Amino acid sequence: MSAFFLKERDLVAFLNKLAKTTRVVAPVAKRGRFVFAEIGSAAEVRLDYDVTILPPKKVFFPPAQRIVTFDAESVSDCIDPVETVLFGVHFYDVKGIDMTDLLFRERNADRDYLAQREATTIVASSVQSVSPRAFWGSIGSSVKPKGHDAFLTKVDGGYVLEIVTDKGTALFAKAGFREATSEEIAAAKRANADRMTECAETLPYDSDAVAAKVRDAFSDEALWDELSNDCFSCGSCNTVCPTCYCFDVRDAWNLDQTSGTRTRYWDACLTREFAAITQPGGHSENFRAHHSARFRHRFMRKAAYLNDKLGGPACTGCGRCSAACTADIADPVRVITAIMERAS
Amino acid sequence: MSTPAEVTAAAEHAAAERTGCTCDNSHESLFVPREAKILHTAQPTATEKHFTLQLADGEQLDFTPGQILEVGVMGFGEIPIGLASSPTRKYTFEIVVRSVGRVSTAINKQEVGDSLWIRGPLGHGFDMDALHGEDVLVVAGGIGLCPTRSLIQYIADRREDFGRFVLFYGARDPLQLLFPEDRAVWRASHGIEYHETVDRASVHWSGHVGNITTLFKTTSLTPETRVIICGPPVMFQFVLRELDSLGISRENIYVDLERRMKCGVGKCGHCQINDKYCCVDGPVFTFAEIQALEEAI
Ligand SMILES: Cc1cc2nc3c(=O)[nH]c(=O)nc-3n(C[C@H](O)[C@H](O)[C@H](O)COP(=O)(O)OP(=O)(O)OC[C@H]3O[C@@H](n4cnc5c(N)ncnc54)[C@H](O)[C@@H]3O)c2cc1C
Ligand code: SF4
Ligand code: SF4
Ligand code: FES
Repeated sequence: MSAFFLKERDLVAFLNKLAKTTRVVAPVAKRGRFVFAEIGSAAEVRLDYDVTILPPKKVFFPPAQRIVTFDAESVSDCIDPVETVLFGVHFYDVKGIDMTDLLFRERNADRDYLAQREATTIVASSVQSVSPRAFWGSIGSSVKPKGHDAFLTKVDGGYVLEIVTDKGTALFAKAGFREATSEEIAAAKRANADRMTECAETLPYDSDAVAAKVRDAFSDEALWDELSNDCFSCGSCNTVCPTCYCFDVRDAWNLDQTSGTRTRYWDACLTREFAAITQPGGHSENFRAHHSARFRHRFMRKAAYLNDKLGGPACTGCGRCSAACTADIADPVRVITAIMERAS
Repeated sequence: MSTPAEVTAAAEHAAAERTGCTCDNSHESLFVPREAKILHTAQPTATEKHFTLQLADGEQLDFTPGQILEVGVMGFGEIPIGLASSPTRKYTFEIVVRSVGRVSTAINKQEVGDSLWIRGPLGHGFDMDALHGEDVLVVAGGIGLCPTRSLIQYIADRREDFGRFVLFYGARDPLQLLFPEDRAVWRASHGIEYHETVDRASVHWSGHVGNITTLFKTTSLTPETRVIICGPPVMFQFVLRELDSLGISRENIYVDLERRMKCGVGKCGHCQINDKYCCVDGPVFTFAEIQALEEAI
């Protein structure tokens, strides 16, 4: 499809106009860090962000999402998508969205996720500064980002905007940007390729080899005990991850005590109660009672179980889990390297 | 000329091409339950309640023995419950709920005329085609008789489609024995070889005493028998030992597993057993299938 060239002020004018008529979610600064948030004007947008605290999955799969409402007579769904432009998504987060798209669509299609996903136009953007814990340069390189509608790359003097889908075409149809030259397109390609070598952390292993080794390590109890020794079972590593999508479901009444809602909340397999079942007499049985079993489950899912479906690990290399873990043990680079280097 | 099924399939295929989606329920929420009216209740034990239900819209529930429902009371939540009646008995369906926590207790407070809200049938039941024409043994421990009752009724209703039919049922003590009317029928039936036992007898008990594996001594079984096991996790290993000594292959053993569940549709992650989801790949698995799963038993 086509590519355009924009000066900074073209982008500002476009975003300002867009935000007047459409819900635009983009990276903005918040207490020295960055978050995806709804914007009112272009001035808030920070395309020079390194990584956001939470991934953009929250647009389609919010931390608390109503799935059913009820009153005394009836029960109904809560699917109510809002046309949204998700702007400034780094390529590794595009990968994360693509993965959750597949997981919510397979077997039983989850309209509570997909409806908002389909109502959203995604404009990806190049990485301008690299977060210190990122390792996207070296994980899942065979998995190409897809699912975005356009891709904006910062180059000297402005931006190159490549249009990927019809939705992308529609979004920029009336913007009046000029066509990019082939040199500008080549410069954008180079800028994105150069960035791939700039992560501080690297995981220099082939995805299939990682999947096989991680799976083989399942029964190595000593290894998992060692790796997870300091785990608090807080679940932060799950919460910040773009590819985690587990949830809990809870009901609540409105004040009238007859109507109410059923809501799903982000849940975390690292927490103690996640796999516990209740037995008669106030007893319970936990299928992953020890934190090492839960820690192992996270890595089995990321690096082994989901690989076949996703064509690579369910990890984008964003490094959010590494940064979020108080005990500093969640880092996939550390864990996978330990497994790969362990003599078998 | 195309059959109606072919026309529907073609339309679904065309829709899938347009949306890139290959599922059949692409336009509805997975989470909206249907209303089921309570027609009848019974209270077989102090903590268990037996419900006979009918969909409020008059439709029939179409399911396979071994499948489950998510059953709820709006405002309290929903929980997975096995279907306890056979799909051969149309128009109504039955469940038995044991009060253990918040939702199960709320369900068991409902009475005739009230509604329960259900989703399903969900999951993967017993492979009835694989059991067709074969000798079948059911080993049910405790509340494990509820989901297997669906299969027992099914076989009883289509008795000529199956070979020999042996049923072992064990409970902790006589007060815990479920389905008294059913058991009377099974005991009297020529088509069912029914054996029951309790771990601990009471003064009025004149039947068999001992754990469920002691019933294996009361009858002989061929190595080709298909076996269904449903009960507490501790029961599995003892029963499996008996089956091994009878030379019964693990492909022919079906187990019904229990895991924490929230969604019932393969999304929420709670019910995972290694890379399988108990809610969509199970709850019924062949033993051969789960033998390789380290987290299964
Ligand atoms: C495949 C399957 C079939 C079942 N069939 C029956 C049946 O026929 N009759 C019956 O009485 N019980 C059955 N159960 C168990 C029943 O689901 C639990 O007793 C029930 O979920 C407890 O919920 P609660 O809200 O009362 O307890 P709480 O302690 O309040 O539980 C909190 C939540 O944890 C989850 N949870 C807790 N225990 C279990 C559990 N054992 N299984 C799954 N999720 C759990 C539920 O989501 C529940 O809402 C079955 C469970 C499974 C997995
Ligand atoms: S690995 Fe770290 S972030 Fe994850 S649960 Fe354990 S302590 Fe929390
Ligand atoms: S596991 Fe960690 S690095 Fe990988 S995608 Fe999740 S948060 Fe990012
Ligand atoms: S119950 Fe949610 S994935 Fe199985």
